[in-house]
Amino acid sequence: MTLIISDNSKGNIGMILKESFCAMGIQVAHFAADTLNIKPCVSCNSCGGKTYGRCVIPDDMQQLYPRIVRCQALVLVSPIVFGGVSYHIKKVMDRMAAVGDPRYWIKDGEIVKGMSNKELRYYMVGFGDNISEAEQTAFLCLHKENQIIMNVSGKAFICDSLADKQAINIIAREIVDE
Amino acid sequence: MNKSEILLICTSPRRKGTSAMLLERVRAAIGGKMIFLPQSGSLNELVSEMQQAETIIISGPCYINTYPAKLIELLETASFTGGFSGQKIYGIINGGMPYIHTHKHGLTCLELFADKNNLSWQGGFILGVGAMLDGKPLEKHMSRRKVVPAFDQFVRYITSGKQSPDSLYIDVQSPPGKLMTYLFSKLLSSMVVKRIKKYGYDPEAPNWYLSNR
Repeated sequence: MTLIISDNSKGNIGMILKESFCAMGIQVAHFAADTLNIKPCVSCNSCGGKTYGRCVIPDDMQQLYPRIVRCQALVLVSPIVFGGVSYHIKKVMDRMAAVGDPRYWIKDGEIVKGMSNKELRYYMVGFGDNISEAEQTAFLCLHKENQIIMNVSGKAFICDSLADKQAINIIAREIVDE
Repeated sequence: MNKSEILLICTSPRRKGTSAMLLERVRAAIGGKMIFLPQSGSLNELVSEMQQAETIIISGPCYINTYPAKLIELLETASFTGGFSGQKIYGIINGGMPYIHTHKHGLTCLELFADKNNLSWQGGFILGVGAMLDGKPLEKHMSRRKVVPAFDQFVRYITSGKQSPDSLYIDVQSPPGKLMTYLFSKLLSSMVVKRIKKYGYDPEAPNWYLSNR
């Protein structure tokens, strides 16, 4: 399954991407983070001890966790905000620590962590209008760093807020082909 | 500098963690008002305090390679509200990994926010292996001999209203060598595994959400 978590508050790229996957016959689940009740991580570290691998905050993130640990591809779709993701998407990312592998490993000579879902492929799609070079670079760097620390494969894409179906199809195709 | 116009914002949900400790260290030298980012409710009041400040110093932990979501909400709210007039802004970010690149995005994000909203980015300080301090003084840091003077120099840059160069924190935190990397990962892993086992879990077992939902 491909899991799309998008922030639709500033554009409908997430919806178009879902349609693209569906048209390719890909099984997809889509959630709009901006319409869900997701609280920020409070760093209680229960997921690293008392309730290992499980977050104790009883909100809509509980619907996403079972899918994050099962999906083959996770696609986060977000407006590009100061070279990163929006508040709605960042809340999801912070809370993903609960289903991460809390142990430390070495990859390419550096210490990394991992995900409990080791097969996960991790994608980010950032969108906006007239995104500066600096913001694009920062967005791609954030994804690259996420990939390193989560020890997963994947890719980041950047598109215009008003990207048409054709442009989104190309992104969907690239994700499916990997 | 008018001390009442210095605003220190801690973006960590932990009140006694490393982010707060570092910010207290700045406040001890420069004074000002320290605020913990509210974890719920409106951020409008804090945004108006930011508008009235002359210098803003933000300190927070690194969650998945940048500041926590709550800070992003504050920046989004501040940007939406607007009305900034060249306020100086400094950033501090600390995380567990001993690499600058792991935490770098936090400072980049603040700089981009400043550029877009008429604030003046003055540089920041990245502290690796900060999480292990768990709020203990900087003098307990693994690389204390290099890191303490560098951080105190950073504080002096803030006090004198000057730009702090990135080389300040980069030069004192070189990545660990091969042996240290190995030992470090083993030590950190054994600490988390010990904690998991203490609560009766098997770290190798499938995730809870795989077996229960």
